[in-house]
Amino acid sequence: MRDHSKRRTRLRGARLLAIALAFGLIAAACGSDDDEDAAATTAAAAPATTAAAPATTEGADSLEGTKVTVFGPESSDEEAGALRDALDHFAAQTGIEITYTGARDAADQINAQAAGGNPPDIFIFPQPGKLADFARDGHLVALPADVIAAMNEHWTPAWTAFGDVDGTQYGIPNKSDLKSLVWYKPALFESKGYSVPGTWDELKALSAEMIANGDTPFCIGIESGPATGWTFTDWVEDLMLRFHTPEDYDAWVAGELAFSSDEVSGVFTEVLDLWNTPGMVFAAGGSIAATPFGDNGQPLVDNDCMMHRQASFYAAFIPEGTVFADGSADAVDTFYFPSVRGDQPVLGAGTLVGAFRDAPEVWEVMKYFGSSEYAEVRQRAQTERKGGGLSGFLSAATNQDPSVYQPLEQSFLSILQNADVVRFDGSDLMPAEVGAGTFWTEGTAVVNGDKTVAEATAAIDDSWPQ
Amino acid sequence: MSSTVTRSDGAAPGAPRPGGRARDPAGRGSDRLGAVIYRFLRSIPAWVLWLMVIIWSVPTGSLFLNSFRHRDDQRASGWWTSFTEGNWTLENYSDVLSSGQQTGGLWQALLNSFAIAIPATIIPIAIAALAAYAFAWIPFRGREWLFIGTVSLLALPNQVALLPLLQMFAGGAHWTIPGTETVLTLFPDFSLAGTATAVWLTHTAFALPFAIFLLHNYISTLPGELFEAARIDGADHFTIFWRIVVPLSVPALAAFAIFQFLWTWNDYLIALTMLGAAGENYPATIKIASMAGEFGLREHLLSAGAFVQAGVPMLVFFFLQRFFVRGLLAGSVKS
Repeated sequence: MRDHSKRRTRLRGARLLAIALAFGLIAAACGSDDDEDAAATTAAAAPATTAAAPATTEGADSLEGTKVTVFGPESSDEEAGALRDALDHFAAQTGIEITYTGARDAADQINAQAAGGNPPDIFIFPQPGKLADFARDGHLVALPADVIAAMNEHWTPAWTAFGDVDGTQYGIPNKSDLKSLVWYKPALFESKGYSVPGTWDELKALSAEMIANGDTPFCIGIESGPATGWTFTDWVEDLMLRFHTPEDYDAWVAGELAFSSDEVSGVFTEVLDLWNTPGMVFAAGGSIAATPFGDNGQPLVDNDCMMHRQASFYAAFIPEGTVFADGSADAVDTFYFPSVRGDQPVLGAGTLVGAFRDAPEVWEVMKYFGSSEYAEVRQRAQTERKGGGLSGFLSAATNQDPSVYQPLEQSFLSILQNADVVRFDGSDLMPAEVGAGTFWTEGTAVVNGDKTVAEATAAIDDSWPQ
Repeated sequence: MSSTVTRSDGAAPGAPRPGGRARDPAGRGSDRLGAVIYRFLRSIPAWVLWLMVIIWSVPTGSLFLNSFRHRDDQRASGWWTSFTEGNWTLENYSDVLSSGQQTGGLWQALLNSFAIAIPATIIPIAIAALAAYAFAWIPFRGREWLFIGTVSLLALPNQVALLPLLQMFAGGAHWTIPGTETVLTLFPDFSLAGTATAVWLTHTAFALPFAIFLLHNYISTLPGELFEAARIDGADHFTIFWRIVVPLSVPALAAFAIFQFLWTWNDYLIALTMLGAAGENYPATIKIASMAGEFGLREHLLSAGAFVQAGVPMLVFFFLQRFFVRGLLAGSVKS
């Protein structure tokens, strides 16, 4: 009896051991291919919260085999693929292993990664406001002097200012979008006897003439999923910059000039008066708020409308097979969104890179992101990946070889590089509660006619964080 | 999905219902109302149900049709125009399958999905089955309170724990004993952040309360005489568990396995949070969502991507449907 129970106990022990072993094997099998990546993430996980700027990064001779992780919101095959091509080009020169990961929700996810102690080495910020938040929270490392010097060789102060947080430089511009553009078909304009407007009043007169001729002047659609309304905010921002001074614009973005002030609500009214003019707008989806912003390319090509105000990246949304600015009958071109006061302000947007880790290899990659070489290599790769047409990428870095850009893109570049007044998309600079919240939603409400301008602007002011 | 719904519902109107009326004693108001509602529901013809099935399936069906249309067609017109226009293409599917070659493409992402979903399915079942047996059939001190505590964890939303978990995976968990300099390491720093292990560990942890609850409800209904007989024959707890409980619990185990596999396969948030910038470990959900690009430039690929992503769970469902339907009844009747 005793012998029997002893044997049973031994048997039971063996079984338990077998279960433990089985679990161990499963865990090992599933974990084994992660070892390599674990090394990379260890490097990434190293805390990088020192805000003090290191004096220099010199003496970084042997970077062979070091690893740098880059994370960002550019994720499609063309964008992320070309970005990787450009980084591979640099990796081949320096021996640094650079991995880029693009995820559509990267801009939301970076908060979790920074808070969770797992930030990438470099993040591509789609909004300067976000970069400033991370810099003030002590997550980002300020740029060392030699990195700033390298950046200044390629970027004008108008652009580097977006990476400046309270007097300290944290970000390097990486990509530029030009927003003050109107897409149109030159040959159609010519055949109908329309001329490109040079001022806001001329634009309004041209629209009235088009309506009288039975043409629809604008294609407008502001639907964009959870970001519905951002196209409306772009119009408001562009006109804020035209009706008022850059200083007023800065005060508005900083929250010092209220939405309900005469200046801002006047611009709201100006935009809505134009859009609400009978016959002014072709909305493919039935109403402006129900038309996806990406659906305005087809009606422009089909002559359902004459003009469409949208940023330079919109080239990628215009149907395949369309030619750009080559003088042919169906070619699509752009003109500069006309000014009001005679100056030529430019509304821009783009991405900035910021570093979470202070290491020589990280600064080398940061310098490369700010160089014209990066812009050229990436532009070439992205054009190739798009298989013709416009790449959708644009960089305002100076000293670039213009031949990597197509003629239309070159005209964007000359607008960007020569602008005296460049202002970043205001909603990207405002606190997220407003810039990615009420400005969009209340803007959509006034476009729908659900609210008056006074109600909507007051609601936006109320939502501004104190 | 739809075939199960229609089969069970569609058969109902013709099936005889013995005892349905006899159980309702006449004269009680609420029962008479119940009988009226019951008769009304029984009188709905099958074609109405079919109509509902069709309406219910329209969004999925239109997504499916759109996945075979060119980008500019998708942007220019609705899916219904495709019947007259034709112009079908497989381009979206080939684009989806060939995208992201630099990081291993979609095949790698599907493998990553399996690397997350399989351990996240097997491990909680193994642990939960043992725990459920212990809770149901091994008397020990504090059993009731421990069980109540475990099941209460069902109410904990996993979102609130994501950041602490990520911190734990990235740097371990340490606790300084108040008033002293001693630091206790509660969880060592294994550098798990960015690995598939971090993802399935998280899934496992959050699956356990529900798994234990479901399996306990089933296992506790097994007839106690079986266990007594087994014990008289000299079986220990492990033998009882392995020889009696597991074979009898297969429907419940399989049902939970299917649920858990579908949840983890379709998970986006936990994977993205735990993986962060480790793109080479992304499961298919994140890869497909990211194909659309920063401004939604290639949003037209999402419909095709959705069906590639849904293909695997559909296969799992159709092959294991038998268990699925039976498992829903787990614990409701003694067998």
